[in-house]
Amino acid sequence: MLSPKRSEALAGYLFILPTFIGFAIFILYPLVESLRISFYEYSILGDSYYVELDNYSRLLSDSRLRKTYSNTIVFTGFAVFFNAGIGLLLAVFLNRRMPVLMRNFYRSAFFFPILIAHTYIAVIWQYLYHQDTGVINYYLAFLGIDPIPWLSHPAWAMAAIIIMDVWKNTGFAMLVFLAGLQSIPHEYYEAAQLDGANERQLFSRITIPLLSPSIFFILVIFMIGALQVFDTIIVLTDGGPGDATRSVVMYIYQQAFQRLDFGYAAAISWTLFLVIMAVTLVQFLVSRRWVHYE
Amino acid sequence: MIAQTKAPFSAGRQLIRQTRKPLKWQDVLSYAVLTLAALLVLLPLLWMFSTSLRPLADSYKLPPQWLPTDWRWENYLAPFESNVPFELFFLNSLKISALTTLGQLITCSMAGYAFARLRFPGRGFLFMFLLASLMVPGQVTIIPIYLMMAELKLVNTHASLILPGLISIFGVFLMRQFFKQMPQELFDAARVDGAGHLRSFLQIALPLAGPGLATLGIITFNATWNGYFAALIFLTSWEKMTLPQGIALLTGYMNSGNPSVVMAAVGLAILPVLIVFLVAQRWIIEALTRSGLKG
Repeated sequence: MLSPKRSEALAGYLFILPTFIGFAIFILYPLVESLRISFYEYSILGDSYYVELDNYSRLLSDSRLRKTYSNTIVFTGFAVFFNAGIGLLLAVFLNRRMPVLMRNFYRSAFFFPILIAHTYIAVIWQYLYHQDTGVINYYLAFLGIDPIPWLSHPAWAMAAIIIMDVWKNTGFAMLVFLAGLQSIPHEYYEAAQLDGANERQLFSRITIPLLSPSIFFILVIFMIGALQVFDTIIVLTDGGPGDATRSVVMYIYQQAFQRLDFGYAAAISWTLFLVIMAVTLVQFLVSRRWVHYE
Repeated sequence: MIAQTKAPFSAGRQLIRQTRKPLKWQDVLSYAVLTLAALLVLLPLLWMFSTSLRPLADSYKLPPQWLPTDWRWENYLAPFESNVPFELFFLNSLKISALTTLGQLITCSMAGYAFARLRFPGRGFLFMFLLASLMVPGQVTIIPIYLMMAELKLVNTHASLILPGLISIFGVFLMRQFFKQMPQELFDAARVDGAGHLRSFLQIALPLAGPGLATLGIITFNATWNGYFAALIFLTSWEKMTLPQGIALLTGYMNSGNPSVVMAAVGLAILPVLIVFLVAQRWIIEALTRSGLKG
């Protein structure tokens, strides 16, 4: 018979066992294995060869990789900025005095697209963006704007992706900011008002500092997500025209699963992993200067 | 809440009365912005719906009709009669999402319970170890997982999607939070009554974890139902494919598919999400805010 302490420990290990089996097979092993593969010219059918750092030196001279990284960075910058900015604006407006029914309606409307797959949204927007038959150009014509080649011009295609992404995701930022705003005690505003603060001061001295943990959270989450963008783009533009909207993850996908160059793809995936870790780390370090936890 | 008037230095009662004043320009501005934003969000969905009900010959017609004039519900049957096996895509997605969700509910609640309620050497370290792996992007692990599945001859089977989905580190974290909130007295009382750890888990912890299980279930089901990346890699033949892949097929090369049929298919694919949203909106919103997970 086991002592109670031992039986509790045994139960603990048994309860976490299924998760750890899955963790070992589908996270830990693949993580190590992908690093190993990145040093090989890996073939799924024939022999694989150890090529030292060849895959990594190839990275440096790969102009397509540079292009996909610059696309990803452009997308990340704009998408994070507009998602967070518009989300904050909507949350501030929603947090004003208004009938509960109205607030719930707006909140639901902004929020619903989060639940729909990128794939379906891209399919819908593909028709909306169509140069000749699309609804968007139809209405822009009334403003005297010539038909925009949304999906066939490099810069417009990137803009089209960013607009669609903001349409889908800004509601999530709104939701988090609204929850943050609602947790700020009214007394702070009342006290500041008694001291003669105007609305702008209330916003910059009370709202923003007290909301900074939510803002930080949204920036980190959105940035990590945007650096891994894939679904959104592959359906809407498939990376085109040319490589104009191809993201790093799409490039990894192409190298691995279309060209079967697994070693090189693994090396690229590790660069992305390191970039994401570095960006996250920098954000955490910088956050000490501007994020206030109560 | 930001009061709309300049601060009077009198008592709170006057402040409240002043904030109930009739509409000011800030109110008008905020309603205008919110309404415009809501329109921009809802119009593409309205377009989807009205296009799905249009006669096929009219689906490209401009100016767009925002409200359906004909109600061609038979368009919703067209995806099933097309040359792609649409009903199979539906069933495949349902099967993969249901099994993945069931698996995660089991593994995550067990591990979450252990990390929240049971004492064992290494508990803190093992938990941090799991959490650290949340930083690993899926693109890094997918290549070895694919090679593993190829070795096991599991490429182009649903198992290749379901097996890696049976666990979730995020889910363990979420369930642990729920189990931690439960009062210790309940578990002490159960122990006095001679309940073992399995019975405490099954008969006390799980029944109280309903909201947590619902939250995890909704998040996992929706994420799997919407998943595209892994399906694109693992599933190659039509009869194995999932709904997002199927709709991409239906859309056709250079989106040559008829918009009305495609929009009807998208409508069918979104329908389960819409129903869950309407029924459980409050839970979903709370869960997403709490978890920081987006679609």
